[in-house]
Amino acid sequence: MAGFADLNLPQGPDKKSLQSLLEAAAHLGYSAVALNHVIDFKEKKQEIVKPVSPSELFPSLPIVQGTSKRIKVLTRLTLVVSDPSHCNLLRSTSANVRLYDIIAVFPKTEKLFHIACTTLDVDLVCINVTEKLPFYFRRPPVNMAIDRGIYFELLYTPAIKDSTMRRYTISNAISLMQICKGKNIVISSAAERPLELRGPYDVANLGLLFGLSESEAKAAVSTNCRATMLHGETRKSACGVVYTVKKPRKVEEEETTLPACKKAKTQA
Amino acid sequence: MRTLRSRLMKEVCGGASPIGWAQRPSGSGATAAMVRFKNRYVLCEVVSEDPRCRQCIEDRAVGLAVRDAIGRVHGDYGLACCSISFTVKYLNAYTGTVLLRCRKDSYRLLCSALPFVRQLESRNLRYPCFLNTLHVGGTIRTCQKFLIQYNRRQLLMLLQNCTNEEERQCIQKSLLSCSLTEEQSQSGDEEDDDGTETD
Repeated sequence: MAGFADLNLPQGPDKKSLQSLLEAAAHLGYSAVALNHVIDFKEKKQEIVKPVSPSELFPSLPIVQGTSKRIKVLTRLTLVVSDPSHCNLLRSTSANVRLYDIIAVFPKTEKLFHIACTTLDVDLVCINVTEKLPFYFRRPPVNMAIDRGIYFELLYTPAIKDSTMRRYTISNAISLMQICKGKNIVISSAAERPLELRGPYDVANLGLLFGLSESEAKAAVSTNCRATMLHGETRKSACGVVYTVKKPRKVEEEETTLPACKKAKTQA
Repeated sequence: MRTLRSRLMKEVCGGASPIGWAQRPSGSGATAAMVRFKNRYVLCEVVSEDPRCRQCIEDRAVGLAVRDAIGRVHGDYGLACCSISFTVKYLNAYTGTVLLRCRKDSYRLLCSALPFVRQLESRNLRYPCFLNTLHVGGTIRTCQKFLIQYNRRQLLMLLQNCTNEEERQCIQKSLLSCSLTEEQSQSGDEEDDDGTETD
């Protein structure tokens, strides 16, 4: 059974508040969290810094409630793209981008959504929950994303804070459900304070509000998160796969041919 | 300790009903052929940053906060559905444990509205907090069994963080003595022996 994970905790500059967030998450039962670093290209050109390793930030990680293991902390990068030229950053082989565990993209237009689902090398596509979607989802890019193993992320903290956000969240989520039939969904918080976090059982109940079935909602907090983390790991490690097969060698060949180093010495 | 606990429960559950945890068929119990009403009991924990919030945990405050959240999320229909058999059955201010009851048909409405509880209000004081759902059961007994296991785990974690030898002995004693007793007058639920909160 996969542990529960919350893949979006905004990384603020304050270390103490992050520590209290981690403790709250561990108390609620999350086995893994991801610290999110958001890059917005509308502002001045920002440099993508190397991710700070969690072991440097937090000397001691709290223990997850219900198990005896420590909470796992990953690093995550979110790119808010509103222009196709912003995507070049992902295609370039910049070393810093590769160092993050999970990469997410937040498309603002329909064309960018299509590009993100079909060609970009990301793990998560964020769905806007704070305003009415400017575009409708279409089936072909969503199905391609599901085939590629890309997950769609929904946030729930705006829904808790404000009533108009709640309406946008639910309407956007339900329109996504109608297209993707509840597959490949990840629900996460964007909690800045420990009071905005909710336990995994409650988040699964929120998934019911969004139109998911009970098993899908539970998977949205546990199995799909684990699949996203694995997807990020494979992206980090493997660029290609070499498949070796043992070929049976004939015995006579071995005796006649000498290894190359020995050959050179005898001839000289 | 036991009398304090039973007094707490008496105040909370209402003076009329007996203190025991014995499950009896709820509902009007009109005729012998009537099937009993099925309820769902939702066990939650009130989590907050402010330690003064613990004093504010009362059955009326929590009931109001939950009803308000249901009204905001599901509207008048949801509020009406959920309030058919809605009460706060058990409350423990020291650990922040709350047991809510509702009808089986409308427990989904209740559970999906619980994440939207943001604050508790009583005596014109507001404290920001949230409810963490621990367990949903069909009877009080299953929730009680779960609560005992959960509290035992909490005590174990407290034991690890213990600094004082006296506190350590206290916790070890209560760990060994927690169990589900069959007696009517006392509940088997144990509480923290040291009243200090470590988190």
